[in-house]
Amino acid sequence: MTRRLALTPYLFLAPSLLVIITFVVFPIIAVVYYSFTDYNIVNPPVWVGLENYARLFKDEVFWQALTHSFIYLLVTPTLIILGIVLAIVVNRKLPGINMFRALYYIPVISGSIAVSIAWRLLLDTNGLLNSLLLSIGVVKEGVQWLAEPSLTLGIAMLLTTWMGLGYYMMIFLAGLQNIPEELYDAALIDGCNAFQKHLNVTIPGLRPQITFVAVISSLAAIEVFTEVFILTGGIGGILNSGVTMVFYLWKQAFKLQHYGMASAIAMVLLVITLIFSIFNIRFLERGTEAT
Amino acid sequence: MIELQATKRQIAVPRTNVMLKRTLETIMWYIILCAVAVLTVFPFVWVFFTSFKGPNDPIYSVPPQLIPHDFTLANYLRVWNQLPVGNFFLNSIIVSVSTVILNLLFTSLAAYPFAKMKFAGRDVIFYLLLATFIVPPQLTYIPSFVLAVRVFHYYDTIFALIFPSLATVFNIFLLRQAFKGVPDDLIDAARVDGAGELRIWWAILLPIIRPSLATVAIITFVNQWNDFLWPSLMLHTREHMTLTVGLVALQGMFASDSRGIAAGVVMTVIPILILFVILQRQFVRGLSGAVKG
Repeated sequence: MTRRLALTPYLFLAPSLLVIITFVVFPIIAVVYYSFTDYNIVNPPVWVGLENYARLFKDEVFWQALTHSFIYLLVTPTLIILGIVLAIVVNRKLPGINMFRALYYIPVISGSIAVSIAWRLLLDTNGLLNSLLLSIGVVKEGVQWLAEPSLTLGIAMLLTTWMGLGYYMMIFLAGLQNIPEELYDAALIDGCNAFQKHLNVTIPGLRPQITFVAVISSLAAIEVFTEVFILTGGIGGILNSGVTMVFYLWKQAFKLQHYGMASAIAMVLLVITLIFSIFNIRFLERGTEAT
Repeated sequence: MIELQATKRQIAVPRTNVMLKRTLETIMWYIILCAVAVLTVFPFVWVFFTSFKGPNDPIYSVPPQLIPHDFTLANYLRVWNQLPVGNFFLNSIIVSVSTVILNLLFTSLAAYPFAKMKFAGRDVIFYLLLATFIVPPQLTYIPSFVLAVRVFHYYDTIFALIFPSLATVFNIFLLRQAFKGVPDDLIDAARVDGAGELRIWWAILLPIIRPSLATVAIITFVNQWNDFLWPSLMLHTREHMTLTVGLVALQGMFASDSRGIAAGVVMTVIPILILFVILQRQFVRGLSGAVKG
């Protein structure tokens, strides 16, 4: 009887643990090993020591990818600011407000593939954006939005922001609704104007949500793939202008069959995400304690 | 009398002012709300109309033409005839539905002991699981690819999409929170009555946390439905593709046929939009439930 009881929790955990060990834990360990090998899947991995890392750090495209991924992190503060502003806008009792919230949420659920392809149609040289700009006379001839290297990354970031905003808005909205009304009344009595009111009450009140959004959106930014893949037609942009870490990982592994090299990129990616998550949680939680 | 009327008017004037100010403010909010709505929805509206444009309707014109004059369903037929779109749908539905059912069974089974049982190593296992949450999933794709080809031999089948999604740390975490909200007394009473743990889980706990299960189900379904990178690595035969992978294949095939691509986008987005309209409340609750201080 006692034996059965002692085993029960482990039996309940077993199916999930089996799946997670097979598809998450084992792969993490395997990637560490592969990163020290020359591997093309067809032949067994050959130990090469630090060669992949040495080649990687001399690889110009890798540094480009790393830079691009760091630039991409700018979507995090953008999403936090726009998300909070939009949440404040929709956090009022107006007829039809639920419909607006739902409309803002449509890009989130539509899926990054459909959204990216839709935007590719809009941004095409013969697309809607150019015909709009030409008709109001902002430009004299159509801009090649998708073929201009200096725009590639920016457009992808804009797309990521556009796709994610509704999601983060909903999270901040839920947070706003937990802030007691009395705090705003007190701020009003203290003579705060509308802007100061949000600075002194809303922002501190939303700390947990800000932490969550910072962690989630910066992970998403570092892991970005689909937007870049679709917008650049799977090539990463002219002069690698749209190559991010995950795109480069994908290219090395599944285009060039350099699985060892790709694993080394994966290790760099892992270290970056670890540092970022620790930084985000520590930094933002310290803020909570202070308030 | 005259005096009284005068004071009435004096009161009346500021009152209409306040009313006017309030109305103007409301109008201003609606203008802002509509402007944002245009930004978030207009790209889809344009793609939607483009998908019904006939050969005589320009995609590109100055000024732009939104509504098709030469309305046609030919774009949809062309896409449907040249690609096994029916298969894409069916595959996406099979993958998403079976993932949701099995994942919910697996993760709710694991979440129960994490929430309500004391056993050696509980916290260690739980925090190790949580730690894997920040590992980028793309990092695991290289060994998972090797597993698919070498060990499980499910490359180019939809099993390759279902198997790795059978349990997810995030869902275990969310359901653990849900189980924690169930009073201990209830479980103890069932134990006294001689119910086994499996029976308590199935017959007592799962019905209680049904709202959380619905939320987790929706999140899992939408993630699986919209997933692209892993499915694109696994599925190569057209007939085996899911909607997202198929849509990218379509985009390659119909490179210069914007009307056809637009039709493909609409076909992909419509099912998930319908689901969203039906289950809107659960969608929203699922999000806010995920973050609690």
